[in-house]
Amino acid sequence: MSAISPPSDIPPVLAELWQAYSRGERRALARLLTLAGEQDYRAHLYRLLSAVSPSALVVAITGAPGAGKSTLIGKLIPLIRERGQSVAVLACDPRSPLTGGALLGDRIRMPTTPDDTGTYIRSLAAPPGRQGLAENLDLCIALLERFAFDWILVETVGVGQSDVAIRDLVDCLVLLIQPESGDEIQWEKAGLLEVADLVVVSKGDLPGASRTAEQLRQTLNLPGFPAKPVLLISAAKGSGLAELLQQLAGQPRRRHTPEQKRQRLLLLAQEILAERFQEHADLVQRLLDEAQSAGWDDWHVASQLINRLASVHAKCERRTP
Amino acid sequence: MRQFAGFGTARQTNQRFHFLLAKGQTGLSTAFDLPTLMGMDSDDPRARGEVGRLGVAVDTIDDIHDLYAGIDLHQVSVSMTINAPAIVILAFFLADARERGLDWKRLRGTIQNDILKEFHAQNEFVFPPEPSVRLVIDVIEFCTKYVPQWNTVSISGYHIREAGATAVQELAFTLADGFHYVEKSLERGLDIDEFAPRLSFFFNAHNDLFEEVAKYRAARVLWARAMRERYGAKNANSWKLRFHAQTAGCTLQAQQPEVNLIRVAYQALAAVLGGCQSLHTNSLDETLSLPTERAATLALRTQQVLAYETGVTNTVDPLGGSYYVEALTRQLQREAEEYFHRIEEMGGVLAGIENGFFRREIAESAYAYQREVEARRKIIVGVNAFIEPEQHPIEILRLDPAIETEQIERLRRIKAQRDNEEVRRHLDAIRRAAERGENLMPALIEAAGARVSVGEAMQALADVFGRYERPPTW
Amino acid sequence: MSLVAMNVPPPGKLKNQIRRIVLAKVGLDGHDRGIKVVARALRDAGFEVIYPGLWLSPESVVRVVAEEDAGWLGISILSGAHLVLVPRVLELLRQQGLTHVRVVVGGTIPEEDVPALLACGVAKVFGPGSALADIVQYFQSECDHERN
Repeated sequence: MSAISPPSDIPPVLAELWQAYSRGERRALARLLTLAGEQDYRAHLYRLLSAVSPSALVVAITGAPGAGKSTLIGKLIPLIRERGQSVAVLACDPRSPLTGGALLGDRIRMPTTPDDTGTYIRSLAAPPGRQGLAENLDLCIALLERFAFDWILVETVGVGQSDVAIRDLVDCLVLLIQPESGDEIQWEKAGLLEVADLVVVSKGDLPGASRTAEQLRQTLNLPGFPAKPVLLISAAKGSGLAELLQQLAGQPRRRHTPEQKRQRLLLLAQEILAERFQEHADLVQRLLDEAQSAGWDDWHVASQLINRLASVHAKCERRTP
Repeated sequence: MRQFAGFGTARQTNQRFHFLLAKGQTGLSTAFDLPTLMGMDSDDPRARGEVGRLGVAVDTIDDIHDLYAGIDLHQVSVSMTINAPAIVILAFFLADARERGLDWKRLRGTIQNDILKEFHAQNEFVFPPEPSVRLVIDVIEFCTKYVPQWNTVSISGYHIREAGATAVQELAFTLADGFHYVEKSLERGLDIDEFAPRLSFFFNAHNDLFEEVAKYRAARVLWARAMRERYGAKNANSWKLRFHAQTAGCTLQAQQPEVNLIRVAYQALAAVLGGCQSLHTNSLDETLSLPTERAATLALRTQQVLAYETGVTNTVDPLGGSYYVEALTRQLQREAEEYFHRIEEMGGVLAGIENGFFRREIAESAYAYQREVEARRKIIVGVNAFIEPEQHPIEILRLDPAIETEQIERLRRIKAQRDNEEVRRHLDAIRRAAERGENLMPALIEAAGARVSVGEAMQALADVFGRYERPPTW
Repeated sequence: MSLVAMNVPPPGKLKNQIRRIVLAKVGLDGHDRGIKVVARALRDAGFEVIYPGLWLSPESVVRVVAEEDAGWLGISILSGAHLVLVPRVLELLRQQGLTHVRVVVGGTIPEEDVPALLACGVAKVFGPGSALADIVQYFQSECDHERN
């Protein structure tokens, strides 16, 4: 990775971190991943990372809690390393809506040797709402990509909504389904079966697994439509994993198509808007009071809200150097 | 009276054994250090700092020899608290006994050998659940034939309770584990009336006196019924649930440690009223380190007062007929049976381990209990009530760090002096037996004589079974 | 890279980082009842608790702290091996330029071992009998303190 001098109006601390990060220092990467979630630094990071050329294969693995996502990732890591490639993992767990706290325990199932620099695991807490995506997940992905990891695996929270939204941030969306769990019906409702690029049935050593896989193949592969692969794996026995990796490696890099870039932009704009909304609760309240006395309809109120948040946002932007 | 003992080297523990026997103890109970419990040798890098600390370090048959030196194993029964490498340690023990000219048929003792509760609670496992259970059955099969007085499994609830389970959960999960071992033994073709009498239990003796007594009574009823009606045992000895009890370690407090002496006395009373066959009473300073001699003696005296001065041991099931205890017994029985149902529905004990059922139940109870204590809905004397401002200093048992070096040195010498070609042949034999599904005891007993180490034997098994890398979370 | 960059902005100024805690069991001790209870309590108090599980070597736990950019490391040891394992962890943190990480130790730690632990860089020791409320309170007040 070549060292790129940051623009001169970046705060000096960030500049120093950026230099270290560009030299390949993992501590700097770790700190930048943290800064990706800090308002004061995000805008700068987006600028610094805008010139990133696509190089990593980014795969999201989603599925219900207990489907075996962490275990699967834990098994894929050594296989990827055997191929001589490097892998970074972003493991997301839900943040408590009440306290803001989170229990991040996915990495338990992903053992790595302490001195292997070809792996990196980071746990992220995803806030409720906002489609359940961890804050600035796209920034984190970009940071890892520029650090030159060949694979970036994102383990999602598995609540349904976020699993659809994440499609725009990654090259490939894998849906992990537990056999005989009724999962597939739930996912069909959420639209996830359509949106997933690859469907994987886990715990292939269990009796109902082949049946579930067969049913899914029939559902998903109607004549006239592009074929959607359904794979059967058993993380415990280690079967099907090499095939899965092959399939994934062959996936097109979708992330930088204009279509996805547009979607990501929309997502980011929505995130920023939502943040301003949260921060300026007083402004919102004033507006609501105004609306009450003036008798405005909801559409008008919402419109006004956007205008006012926009001017607040412009002020914020001017303040940030 | 069987007090837990073990620390440092085999020689040091042997001294402690002699001391306790002289003080009136009637059986020996062996505690092993963490590396040994996890099937590692003392020179394993992961063992650093842990050798000889929480128990005795055993690497080869020579350590076993020193451990029981000068003790007539035909007269004194021996209990070994070890699980994942239980089959290896027992093999070394039997090999040593044979070398000493002892008759296996006259050896009496217990090996804990209950791997299922490790997956639920104590986390001392090495291989995945299925092969781990197979090793348990290997021990049952072998001892039933060749070491008939040996208690092959101490089906344990103690640790499950220590991890935070309720009395019902302790009862239900322990018995469910027991049923699983019985079923696997029957699948192996063993005769129930031959192996069942040698299955024993190990329960916690907790604070709520009447609940504990009811728990033990419910356990006896549930076990007897299942053995007779479900598994068709005809021998009355198969229906009997014999159990060892230990007072609850998790109830010991660091504040006002002398109060622990009082707690242990009441818990011991519950165990005796509940009909335990043997008992371990905790020492008052156990929250701080391994017990000092003075504290260990007091713990033993607690039992001796109970046994000789109170008269409560003179009657069988003295609380039977009490309206309250009978009602509690029935209630615990019912609730345990509900758990049995749930476990069966999810596909059995191994399925429950796989999907984290047991761990979640236990973690929930632990957290609920903690909240009760924090909210002072549950009172703990000296902790959230009746607090004393000043601390009473306790004597701590200090372990000489040279123990680790000494043990490692010994192992190095043994490895240098033995015939390493022979060792390799034995390890191959162990692997072959594992692959072929043969009982592993014979191969391990033969390997003991060649000075194969615990770690080497376990690695040979791991080569075939794999290692159970990480436990599921909550 | 200078230590300054790792410490400035001061850890407390990063609202996220200071509230990221790694709770780990180091060594062979497998008793996890206590640490799980503490993990939940800290989660309920608004912290992000990273729990990498059992049997971590000092090297592994330091790696987790580094990757997660945690502000705190809480080690639970009930095996008595604390005087061997904890200094090793602190040494590794120093070697990897992670001295800004605050280390807290809990478990079967006798009073007389506390000075030695503090001397090698531990911020706080919670011995047996420590109240859950006190532990949570400690983390909360330290974080608030950092932020101001």
